Amino acid sequence: MENMTLLDFARGPGLQWALWIFTFGVVWRLVGAIFLLARKDLSKPRRHNSLVAGIGAVISRSAPAHAFEKKIRFQHVTGYAWHFALFISVLFFAPHILFFESVLGFGWPHLPNAIILLTGVIAIGVLVALLIRRATHPVQRFISNADDYISIFVVLVPLITGLLAFAHFGARYETLLAIHLLSVEVMLIWFPFGKLMHAVMTVPARFQAGTAFGRRGVKA
Amino acid sequence: MNTEPMSLQDFRGLLTNMCEGVSGRDLSDEDRVRRAKKAFAQKLNGHRAVDLDSCLHCGMCAEACHFYEATQDEKYAPVYKYRLLRRFYRREMSPMRWFYRPFTRDISGADLKEWQHLVYEACTGCGRCDMICPMGIKISAAIRVVRHGLAAAGYVPPEMRILRDEQRDQNTQFGVGAEKLKALVAEFSAQGIDVPLDRDQADVMLLTTAVEVLLFPDALAANARILNKAGADWTIRSDAFEAANVGIITGDDPTMDLAIKRIVDKAKACGVKTLLMPESGHAYQTMRWEAANEMGEPLTFDVVSMPEFISSAIAKGRLTLNKQSNGTSVTYHDPCRLSRKGGVTQQPRDVLAAMGLDVRETASTGRENYCCGGGCGEYVMCKGADLRQKAFEIKRRELDEAGADAVVTGCANCRMNLMIGADNSGWQMPITSLVETVAANLAD
Repeated sequence: MENMTLLDFARGPGLQWALWIFTFGVVWRLVGAIFLLARKDLSKPRRHNSLVAGIGAVISRSAPAHAFEKKIRFQHVTGYAWHFALFISVLFFAPHILFFESVLGFGWPHLPNAIILLTGVIAIGVLVALLIRRATHPVQRFISNADDYISIFVVLVPLITGLLAFAHFGARYETLLAIHLLSVEVMLIWFPFGKLMHAVMTVPARFQAGTAFGRRGVKA
Repeated sequence: MNTEPMSLQDFRGLLTNMCEGVSGRDLSDEDRVRRAKKAFAQKLNGHRAVDLDSCLHCGMCAEACHFYEATQDEKYAPVYKYRLLRRFYRREMSPMRWFYRPFTRDISGADLKEWQHLVYEACTGCGRCDMICPMGIKISAAIRVVRHGLAAAGYVPPEMRILRDEQRDQNTQFGVGAEKLKALVAEFSAQGIDVPLDRDQADVMLLTTAVEVLLFPDALAANARILNKAGADWTIRSDAFEAANVGIITGDDPTMDLAIKRIVDKAKACGVKTLLMPESGHAYQTMRWEAANEMGEPLTFDVVSMPEFISSAIAKGRLTLNKQSNGTSVTYHDPCRLSRKGGVTQQPRDVLAAMGLDVRETASTGRENYCCGGGCGEYVMCKGADLRQKAFEIKRRELDEAGADAVVTGCANCRMNLMIGADNSGWQMPITSLVETVAANLAD
């Protein structure tokens, strides 16, 4: 233990604890909310295919309804840009895949570093744009709380430290890598406590909207 | 008894009189907060919890709200209107409450006062925000729970409270009871319109509303003529005719359940197969989607709206309508609780098309339709009148842009709100009801 480096800690107990808190927290919050349970709806359904309606809503809510398209174009476009850039950067960077392979036992093809660099920069740019909008748009500023800013911060830092490690810029590579890993661990620990949890809640939330509206014969 | 329809001006005078000289209930802040929390706890379930845990604070819902659009005031963002409930959930019921509690402010008496404006005067429960949320959160359902909390805390606006107490204690609204209905039915009989009042057994039981009886008796007469023409075995009961439910509007469960039970009990006693709802969006929502759950068992009869009944009768050949050939165009205004929250969207359009009318849609239509501006009982409140008028102007703009000759709707409250808005702004658009349009075009 005495000789444990920052990188050893980040790769070892730091990661283990972060994953435990992440997993337990996500399950606790998800199951806890769902298990408040709802009564069975006794009204006569107009349509019975609630499973189809639920799955339909999980898909259809990925795009705004016609009447709202123009009004939320910024959120819609930046939302897609952010998530795509993030997922590509996380899932298709060669060193990340090696890490996942060590945990999962299998890997997948990676993308060229130049593309990952580009998506990383795009992700940071979009997130900064979303941060600026949150701080300046009257409605978003008004409804925001600490969670909103913390959640942006804990996602932004791993992206920045990842790029710095990628570029070997600012410190020794081992130190940069350790900081990058630790920042990811902070993000994992925060995940179940804040609104990053939406990544998990999206499916049940949309699904239940789909079944509720579908029962009434309305497309959710 | 006078059966002349009340003029819109007289009805507005009646509402104004209700607003004057009514004082609030004398409860301590501590009591109010305790009652609100109890109601929140009773109404929170897994569905609401998943919703409350899913909000991204993206603020898109503001873009769907007519009150925000009309004012650009951020406090009218729907996400903020249910913030009170979210705070309660996070502090008291969330699986993460042990973490959130130190960082989440408790509900105060001042909060309840602030939210009375937000959820009663600045929300018609139209549910348009439900349609824009990328997470699928049923925002209007969460706001409705806030209304429940405020109702329990004694914060139902005084005008609504008068109506609620009247319905609960006297089974009347605006003083309209059995005698008034009987007098109106006698008047119809004198005009040759047969209304089988108070039959003990019937396949179909028609309901009406005090607003119809007072302001739009022609709509009730139209329903009678349509049912007679379709050869229905029907009745309307003078002891259970009121479809409007002030309980659901105010968030007062005991009154809602009592009003539902009066209807359900009578329909069962009469062996009714179909409960036919008049032109009232919230009444349809109450009986079609809430009644079984409130009674704790499935209903023994179907609950059907007039557009559904007419469209089905046409399809079965039991009703034939005259086709207009003069190119008259109409725009159908979807009542929120009939269309977006009820699934009755296509049927009224089919009925209008069956009369050969040129149906022109507004830019936002069907499930995305703008509210009339005064639903969910808002029309009785004096305090929100300016705000309602601003919301109405959005509706008016879309209706003007549709370019039709007239507006037709399937809800007496929408019709009245549109007429009040038109009256305030000098808008000349003819506004009428679907059933009256149908009754005027019944084929011989």
